[in-house]
Amino acid sequence: MLPPGMEAASVPGAAALGQTRRVGDRVGDGILHGLTALAALIGVAIVFAIVWRVADGAWPAVKLFRLHFLWAREWNAPLNKFGARDLIVGTVVTSFGAMLLAAPLSIAIGLFLSELAPPAIRGPVGTLVEMLAAVPSVVVGLWGIFVLAPFDAQHVQPFLGSALGWIPIFAHGQDKVESTVFTAMIVLTMMVIPITSSICRELFIGVPTELEEASIGLGATRWEMVRTVVVPTVRGGVVAAVILGLGRALGEAIAVSQVIGNFIPLKLSIFEPGDTLASRVAGQYQGAITNVQIASLIYLALILLVITFITNVAAQRVVKRFEFQRTGGA
Amino acid sequence: MKRGLALIAAAGIALFAIAAAGAKSNDTTISGAGSTFVSPLVSTWTPALGEAFGLNVQYSGVGSGAGIAAITNRQVDFGASDAPLSPDQASACKGCVQIPWALSATSIAYNVPGAPVHLNLDGKTISKIFLGQITNWNDAAIKALNKGANLPDLKITPVFRSDGSGTSYNYTDYLSAVNPEWKSKIGVSTQPAFPAGVGARGSGGVAGVVSRTDGAITYVDVAFALKNHIRFAAVRNAAGKFLFPSLRRITAAAAAFTKVPRDNEMHIVNPSKKAALAYPICTYTYIIVPQQTSHAPELRKMIFWALTQGQRPQFTAKLLFAPLPKPVLVASEKTLKSIHS
Amino acid sequence: MSEPALSLKATGRSRRRLLTNRGAEVGASAAAAIAVAALLVLIWSVGSRGVSALNWDFFTKGPAVFGEAGGGVAPALVGSLLLVAIATALALPFGVLAAIYVSEFAHPRFGRQVRLWLDVLNGFPSIVIGIFVFALCVKVSLPVVGWGRHQSAIAGGSALAIIMLPLVARATMEVLTLVPNELREASYALGVSKWQTVLRVVLPTSLGGILTGTTLAIARAAGETAPLLFTCAIAGQIVDWNPSHSVQSIPLMIFQNSESPDPNLHAQAWAGAFVLIVFVLVTSLTARFLLDRSRRKLGLQR
Repeated sequence: MLPPGMEAASVPGAAALGQTRRVGDRVGDGILHGLTALAALIGVAIVFAIVWRVADGAWPAVKLFRLHFLWAREWNAPLNKFGARDLIVGTVVTSFGAMLLAAPLSIAIGLFLSELAPPAIRGPVGTLVEMLAAVPSVVVGLWGIFVLAPFDAQHVQPFLGSALGWIPIFAHGQDKVESTVFTAMIVLTMMVIPITSSICRELFIGVPTELEEASIGLGATRWEMVRTVVVPTVRGGVVAAVILGLGRALGEAIAVSQVIGNFIPLKLSIFEPGDTLASRVAGQYQGAITNVQIASLIYLALILLVITFITNVAAQRVVKRFEFQRTGGA
Repeated sequence: MKRGLALIAAAGIALFAIAAAGAKSNDTTISGAGSTFVSPLVSTWTPALGEAFGLNVQYSGVGSGAGIAAITNRQVDFGASDAPLSPDQASACKGCVQIPWALSATSIAYNVPGAPVHLNLDGKTISKIFLGQITNWNDAAIKALNKGANLPDLKITPVFRSDGSGTSYNYTDYLSAVNPEWKSKIGVSTQPAFPAGVGARGSGGVAGVVSRTDGAITYVDVAFALKNHIRFAAVRNAAGKFLFPSLRRITAAAAAFTKVPRDNEMHIVNPSKKAALAYPICTYTYIIVPQQTSHAPELRKMIFWALTQGQRPQFTAKLLFAPLPKPVLVASEKTLKSIHS
Repeated sequence: MSEPALSLKATGRSRRRLLTNRGAEVGASAAAAIAVAALLVLIWSVGSRGVSALNWDFFTKGPAVFGEAGGGVAPALVGSLLLVAIATALALPFGVLAAIYVSEFAHPRFGRQVRLWLDVLNGFPSIVIGIFVFALCVKVSLPVVGWGRHQSAIAGGSALAIIMLPLVARATMEVLTLVPNELREASYALGVSKWQTVLRVVLPTSLGGILTGTTLAIARAAGETAPLLFTCAIAGQIVDWNPSHSVQSIPLMIFQNSESPDPNLHAQAWAGAFVLIVFVLVTSLTARFLLDRSRRKLGLQR
C-alpha cells in the first residue's frame, strides 16, 4: 500500500493536478479491486454452487434411502432399488490398489531421477515423465482396452491366478474376460504414476545438497543417505503427492469405465468385472429412466465429492504440517 | 497486457455474438438423439433428407434411455427409442407422441472360436445363459440344440447394455415371454439388473466387447452384427423352427400383429405358432416428438419421408430393416398429422 | 607377515552396508525402469497405431455413413477447438483477476481462503463438474442466447472452464509472488496509482508465467472427456462452428470409438489420441519455454 506521505497531492505546487489524478486513481483502484474481488468470489462461489447443486439433486434419493444407501448392495433400475456399497468398494479397491502399485514406483522414479541416474538421462526422462502427466485419461483408457486388457487376460491374470489363486481375491477362472477390476487398477496406476513421480522428483531435487553431502561425508552409503536424510526431509511432501494421486484415481470416470466391465454385484475376485462410483455415473446418468435413478446417481456423485474432499483436505493438512516442521513453525 | 485483456474480451463478445446470430437465424437443423439400434438407418437417411428438403439432420446414437431423457428435457427436436414410453415417461414428456418408423430384429451374437457357423439356440437356453445358470458352451442344454456340433469347453460371458437401451427392452420382453422365471426375477426394462456378465455402452459397445472376448454372447440389432462380421445364432420360434433374422422373417413376425393401439405401443416378440416363418425377437422402433413444437413443419416433412421414401430397399435392405406393414403405416401417418406448431 | 595393515576390501558390517546400498540402488533403478518402460510402451502404441491411421481425410472429412469405410474427424477437431477457445475465454480473465485479488488486494486471511477453495475445486472429480453444468444447462433457461435447455458448445466450454479456472489462478498467483516488490515500490514512488501499477508493471512482468499456466490448463482441458459427456455429447456429424450448437470433440470421439467393434473406428481413435498427445506435448514444451524465458526475465530484473 502507498504510504500517506507519498501521495501526489503532498507535492507542493501540484495540488490542482493531484486533485484530479487522485480521483481518477481512486476510481481506478476501486474498479480493479472490485473486479478482482468479484472474480475471486465467483471462483469460490462455483465450489459452493457445485456442492449445493449436487446435494440438491441427490436430495430425493437421500430422503428415500437415507444412509442405508451406503451399504445397500442392489442396483435395480426397474424396481427403483439402489445402493452404493459395491460401487464404493469398487472405487476404493481400484484406487487404493492403484496407489499401492503407483506409490513405490513413483518414489523409485523420483529417487532414480534425482539421485541415481547419470546426469545425461535425468533431464530427458524427467521431462518425459512430466509430460506424461498431461496425457488425457481417455487415451490411457484407449490403450487399456486394446493393449493392456488383452495382455492382462492372456498372461498376467492366469499367471497371478495360478500363483496366488488360493487367496480368494486372486481366484481366477478359466475365462478370458478382459474387462476386470484388475485391469482398471493397472490403468489407474499408469495414469497416476507420472503425476506423483514428477512431484516426488521435484521434492527430492529440492533437498539441500549440503545435507546430502554432509551425510556422505560422514561415511553414509547412498542408500543410507536417502533413508536417513532425503526421505525424512520430504516425507510430508511425498505423502501429499500420493494422496493427490489417490484423489485423481478416485474421481476418474472415463478410463475406468472403458476397462472395468460395468457390472455389479461385485465378486470377490479382482479378475472379475466390477464398477466404480464415477464410472457408474458416467455410464448411466444420461440414460437414467426414473427420477429416483437420476437422484441416486447424483447421490453417488455426492459420495464421490465427499471422499475426494476428504482426501484433498488431508493432503493440504499434510503439506501444512510438513511446511511447519521445515520452517520450524515460523 | 491491457491490449491482451481487450483482445480476450473482444473474442468473448464475438463468440456470444456468433451464438446470438446462430440461434436467431432460422436454420433448418433438426437435432435428434436416442436409439443406437436405428442410428445406422438414420445415418443413411441423412444425406437423402438433405437433398430432398435441405434439412440438416443431426442424430446422435446415445441410447434409447438417453434419447427419451433428451426429448423429455427438450434438449433435442426428436428422440428415438426402440422401447415404447412407459406411462411415467409419457406423462413426464408432456404431450409427446411416439411414432413407429422402422422395423427390425435383435440378433443373438456370439464369439466362440471353433463353434459351428450355424448355432441353434432357443429362448429358454438364452434366458438361462443370461441368468447365469448355463455357464459353459459345452453345456448339455446347448448340445441338445446342436446335435453333432463340436462345442468347446469355454466359459460363457454374457454381455449386456449398461446404458438405458431399447434393445435391452426388446430382448427382456422376449425373454419374459419365453421364461416365467426371467419375468418374475428380472422383468422387462430398458435397464434391467442383469445378474451376470459384462456391461457395455451402446450397440457398438456390446458388439465391441463380444468381438474381443472369446466365449462372449450378446443381443444386438442385426445391422451391427452383420456390419462387424460377428456371428449370430438361429433362434427357435414358437413353431419350433430355428431361424436367422432376415427381412422375410421380420416381416412375418410383424404380420402376426395387426392391431395398433392408440398410443402406437407394439409388442411383436415371440409370435404364436401360426407365424411359422417369424423370427421371434423383432421390434418396432419409435421416433418421439412433442405434439407442439416450433419445428413442426420440418419434423412432419422428415418423418413422412422416413415412413414412405425411407422404407425403400435402397436404404433399408442391407441394414435388415423391414418395410413397415400397412396398418402401422396408417397409424403412424395419423399420429403424424397431430404434430403442430 | 605379508598381510597388509589395512584392507580396502569391505568385510563384516561395512560389507553388509555396501551390499544393502547396492541392492537398494538396483531395486530403485529397476522399479524406475519398469515404470518408465510401461509409459514408453503407452506412447509407442499410440504413436505407431496413430501415425499409420493419419491421412488427409482424417482432418478434412466427417464420419463415414454407417457401413462404409473411410471418413474423418473434422467435426470433432473443429468442435474441440471451439470448446477449448470458449473455455479459455472464460477461464483466463476470471483466473487472472482472482489471482490478482489474492496477491495484490486481499487481506492475507481472505487470500488464503480463496486459494484453499480453488485447490478444493481443482480436486473435484471432473464428472461432478459435468453434472453441475448439465443441471445448469437443462434445468435453467437463462435469457442468454445459446444457453439453457439444450447441450451446446457453450455448456461444454463452461464445464472445461471450471476445470481450467483453478489451474490458471494458481499458476498466476505463483508468478505474481515472484514479481519483485522493488518493482511495485518503484512504481508507487513515481506516484503511479495501484491499479496502473498492477496493469502496467506487475502484469506485463508476469505475462510469461500466466501464459505458461494457461497453456498447461489448455492442455488439460483439451483432453477432458467426463465433463463433456452430459453437456456437449448429442452432436451432429458435420463441421459446426456455432457455439450454441452441441459439437463433437476429440476426447468423446476417442471414448466412443474405443468401445466399438469396427477397426476403421479404432484407427480413428488411435489417430485422435495421437493428435491429442502431440497437442499436449507441443503445449507443454511451449509452456516450458515460456516459463524459462519469464524466469530469466524476472531473474535479470532482480
